[in-house]
Amino acid sequence: MRAISRDSFTRLRDESVRRLEASEKAAERQLRQARLRSSLLAAFLLVGFLVVAQWRGAESATLDLESHSDQDLAIIIEELTASNDELREEADRLEAQLTEARVDDAGLQELLNEAARELQGLRILTGLETAYGPGVVLEIEDPEGVLLAQDYSNVVNELRAAGAEAMSVDGNRVRVTSGFASDEDGIHIDGAHIGKDVVVYAIGEPETLEQAVGMPGGLLPTLSAFPGVGVSVTLRDDLEVPAAPDDFFGARSAS
Amino acid sequence: MIILVLALAIGVLIGLVTNVAVPQEVLTYLGVAVLAALDSCFGGVRASLEGDFDDRVFLVGFVANTLVAALIVFLGDSIGVPELYLAAVVAFGVRLFNNLGAIRHLALKKVGWE
Repeated sequence: MRAISRDSFTRLRDESVRRLEASEKAAERQLRQARLRSSLLAAFLLVGFLVVAQWRGAESATLDLESHSDQDLAIIIEELTASNDELREEADRLEAQLTEARVDDAGLQELLNEAARELQGLRILTGLETAYGPGVVLEIEDPEGVLLAQDYSNVVNELRAAGAEAMSVDGNRVRVTSGFASDEDGIHIDGAHIGKDVVVYAIGEPETLEQAVGMPGGLLPTLSAFPGVGVSVTLRDDLEVPAAPDDFFGARSAS
Repeated sequence: MIILVLALAIGVLIGLVTNVAVPQEVLTYLGVAVLAALDSCFGGVRASLEGDFDDRVFLVGFVANTLVAALIVFLGDSIGVPELYLAAVVAFGVRLFNNLGAIRHLALKKVGWE
């Protein structure tokens, strides 16, 4: 009984030891397996990542200059130099333009004002605007009709020479293109007939105009010398000379 | 085996997502190092199939292989023989093919086709 029990104890102990060892071995194998798996996994993960990083690097390297041949590089340098020169030239040009524009901007308003003044003056001189101002009124009476077209031309020329800026003959504005002509009906200016009593308005320095008209050998004595012709001059402060119709044919300047 | 392919794919994915580009100066070094790492990986797979895989040996081999590969390239650059990296490429390439061949052999044996 005793021996049997000891025997069985020994067997039991050996059995349990064997089982323990077996389970330990199994655990160790599992651990090894896990380590194998994890290290291989980590290594493959790293390799995958590195391969992509390498691929990216190689891809960007092909865009780099080092991968080009000497001839290619020479061509690239040449092109770069040419485009650099071009750009520099353009920069210079633009800078000059900028400076010019700045100067222009400062003087632009002044220029505009001046241009507007000039335009106003020109419109008055060319008869496109109604003109107001001091001047003289010439009344020419020619009941017998002895005065010719050129006599009226002389009147206008004399007044203009004396500084008249705007004139009208019987209400017809005298323009740079105006002219007197005569036919069987009498005298007409720009196609409009003028009567035997002609009133001429002239805007300008009144005293100067009067002197010019009245001086010896001037208009007044000359016209008065014709039979039946009477001329009178009146100084006025506020004359109004009407605008001529804007009917230019269409002559253009070269610009 | 499938799990390893998956790990490789995840690594590639991480690379794509993080968008890391290897600088050009170390491109050759890392290229050869990657080749060495790949060789180590397949060596590890082979060893595990043969049943004598040791994780310590594997990890040490992995690190040492990559370092030595980069070192060889560096040495070649330093002594004016930049073509030396070709030696490393050929060496690791041959090993890679050997390992792959062995893996194929073992895998087929395992399946029972051989």
